[in-house]
Amino acid sequence: MVNRSFAGNVVLIDSSNDSLNNQLAKVDYTIERVSNPAHCPNSSSMSDPKQPKVEIAPPDTWVDRYGDYLYGFAMSRLRNPEAAADCVQDTFLAGIKALDRFDGSRDIKFWLRGIMRNKIVDQIRKSIKENKVDIADEDEALLESFWFKYSGIATTNPDPWQFNPRKYYDNSEFWVVFESCINQVKEPARQAFILRVLEDQTTEEVCKVLDVSPNYLWVLLHRAREKLKVLLEARWTGKDVK
Amino acid sequence: MLTCKQVSNALSKEDYEKLSPMRKFFLKLHVKLCIFCGKFNGQVMESQDMCRCYKEHEQDVESARPKLDTDKKEALKQLLAEQSKR
Repeated sequence: MVNRSFAGNVVLIDSSNDSLNNQLAKVDYTIERVSNPAHCPNSSSMSDPKQPKVEIAPPDTWVDRYGDYLYGFAMSRLRNPEAAADCVQDTFLAGIKALDRFDGSRDIKFWLRGIMRNKIVDQIRKSIKENKVDIADEDEALLESFWFKYSGIATTNPDPWQFNPRKYYDNSEFWVVFESCINQVKEPARQAFILRVLEDQTTEEVCKVLDVSPNYLWVLLHRAREKLKVLLEARWTGKDVK
Repeated sequence: MLTCKQVSNALSKEDYEKLSPMRKFFLKLHVKLCIFCGKFNGQVMESQDMCRCYKEHEQDVESARPKLDTDKKEALKQLLAEQSKR
């Protein structure tokens, strides 16, 4: 008779039954492998909280896996192919440096996109420094009329939508048109809109990046929303007629 | 009572969630009573809602977005291979 410990229970087995004995030995080994990760170095441990919960793609495969995705994302925010490519490169390099801090709680694609958001802000800051917007030269008439309108009591009625955009929220084609309309909005209104609305930066952060006052940011956002509405109406209703 | 300027200021620049209950009350009251601010507020809310939905649907437009050039991809691959060896 052989005494064999099996998951905490003592099982008595006839030693003459060799095949059964061997099978149980295999089962025992398997249980030990699962419960003790030291015996299987290649498997990821479920009990170790430091181990990533998702697969980490090696950095040399990132370009093939996430290059197009990140470039497309950067293009939707920056509109400039050179700046977008720089942004992808900076993101990958920052990702390699910070890889040991990746906790594996989400897909590495989204982690890289999170890094990219900061790089996009840096690129916008850089482009603002290179092409400084002179508020004095920027259509001041609009600023004046805007201030006049909101100096106390509003006197103008905003135009209603020519179509109900909510109807098309489930239509992916609508979002393609929406994205192309955002890209047609003039700088720096587009940059203000991207940072404040799409990247959820605070008013203070956006003012710092664009180097504008909160009042001017307000004007820029208003202008971007107005232009976006006009462009969407023209593109989408024109599309419907066709 | 708030003026239209104060209302549009609060709606455009300030974080609504961080406003005091008293300010929120007067904002709502003004927006309900004033036809211009009501429509302006409606359109700002509509725009914000649209942008929120756009962010949720961004994966749907990925296929329509431009792709990275093959040359740039190769250069990036080399750079990443060098950097990951260090």
